[in-house]
Amino acid sequence: MRTTDLKSIYLSLLAAFIFTLLPWAGVGLLLRPDFVLLTLIFWILRAPHQCNIGTAWFMGLWVDLATGGIFGQYALAYTATSFVAVIYQRRLVLFNNMQQLVYVLALLIISQLVLLTLKTFAGNESLGWVYFVPSLTGVFLWQAAIILGLNTGKYSRSN
Amino acid sequence: MFNSPQNFEPQLAPAFFARGPSPLARLAFFSALSLVLMATDSRIQYLSAARANLMVLLHPLQMIANTPSQLYHFTSEYFTTHHHLLNDNQKLKQEALIQKFALQRLASLELENTNLRSLLEANQTLTEVSKLAEIMRVGSDPFTKKIIVNRGSNHEVITGAAVVDANGVIGQITRVYPSSSEITLITDKSLTIPIQIERNGLRAIAFGNGRDNTLTLPFLPANVDIKQGDRLITSGIDGVYPAGLAVAIVKAIKINPDSPFARIVCAPAGGVENHRQVLIVNLTQSTTQDKPTKAKKPKSANKVKNNPSSASKPNAHN
Repeated sequence: MRTTDLKSIYLSLLAAFIFTLLPWAGVGLLLRPDFVLLTLIFWILRAPHQCNIGTAWFMGLWVDLATGGIFGQYALAYTATSFVAVIYQRRLVLFNNMQQLVYVLALLIISQLVLLTLKTFAGNESLGWVYFVPSLTGVFLWQAAIILGLNTGKYSRSN
Repeated sequence: MFNSPQNFEPQLAPAFFARGPSPLARLAFFSALSLVLMATDSRIQYLSAARANLMVLLHPLQMIANTPSQLYHFTSEYFTTHHHLLNDNQKLKQEALIQKFALQRLASLELENTNLRSLLEANQTLTEVSKLAEIMRVGSDPFTKKIIVNRGSNHEVITGAAVVDANGVIGQITRVYPSSSEITLITDKSLTIPIQIERNGLRAIAFGNGRDNTLTLPFLPANVDIKQGDRLITSGIDGVYPAGLAVAIVKAIKINPDSPFARIVCAPAGGVENHRQVLIVNLTQSTTQDKPTKAKKPKSANKVKNNPSSASKPNAHN
């Protein structure tokens, strides 16, 4: 019944992490979607037994390390986001494509809001609305992945 | 049928569908863990060793991630035209000529300067060691202005060293890992740099603005003698930055009648965001008179011999 194995999950997360590490700069940095979080959401929807809140937290630590900020910021943001994703996972796989997109957008925004809160506590100035652009590009990427044939729903429905 | 998650949750309970701890428990556990990490990292700086070790693991991934752009640069360099190279060569030759001429004068001026300083018993040495470093990655956090370069403690880079490019200061080393180090740019909100106005010698402190790639000079009175276009240079009194490097150029001065302070916005002189190579400058001996306790232990490697009270900061070395 279960077709996904841990290897493919961790390899895809590693690939997403390397995408994050690419030398993004300028406009690219502003537009850059959160690859790691998108991959996490994908796996949480599709294989919640293998990829859960703990995985999200662990990946968050690596992203923290890569961004050079205080340890635990991305970890907390990813934990909160994956919690919401996990709670609604059963329902989400029954959604149609549009509903799922809106939901993914909501998840990405939750993660960004948690980060924004933490960064504001740390004394950073707000960047304005531009800050939320990566959520939109993330949704576009999600849609592109769906068009290219990635499937979030069918496998999960069987459990 | 799926009215709310609350109705749905109990169905997960049967043992043959065991899912481990509930999502709420996991959320609580991992959030607490993150909060503890954040507190430890920001308050106690207990994790810097762990971070350095993890960065070693991250290094190969970084190399992989850098391969495409390096490949691109390599191929575009490979296919540059002959004409282009000739032009470049000619330009560089001219520049080298001008700089050689300036260097000839620099040697004699430096000698003269040391002599004069020793006559005045002014405790400031000007020896600095610089290393070329290549930018590996621009910090991916939009809130902070940081870059990672490919020189670290293995190459004797130390925390606090200044980072410059051909046109001026661009930042300071804030974290050193074994084979890479993190530079906080002068436009970052957390970085301040003591400066002097080149025209009249007025001292001030420039703060990074955090966005728009600018610096500000707060706490200067509204009637301060600053004009648009003034050059800001490092004052050198901090013992971190060598004196006289260009930092920024005054772009705008806004005087608000409600405030006793002028709002002065400056643009960095160095190309803060458009280089691949930077120069890391260590001031190997920074001697200042405001550290009398350390002046008792002169190091044998001290270069300024005719200066009786000169000493070196112990942590200026590795």
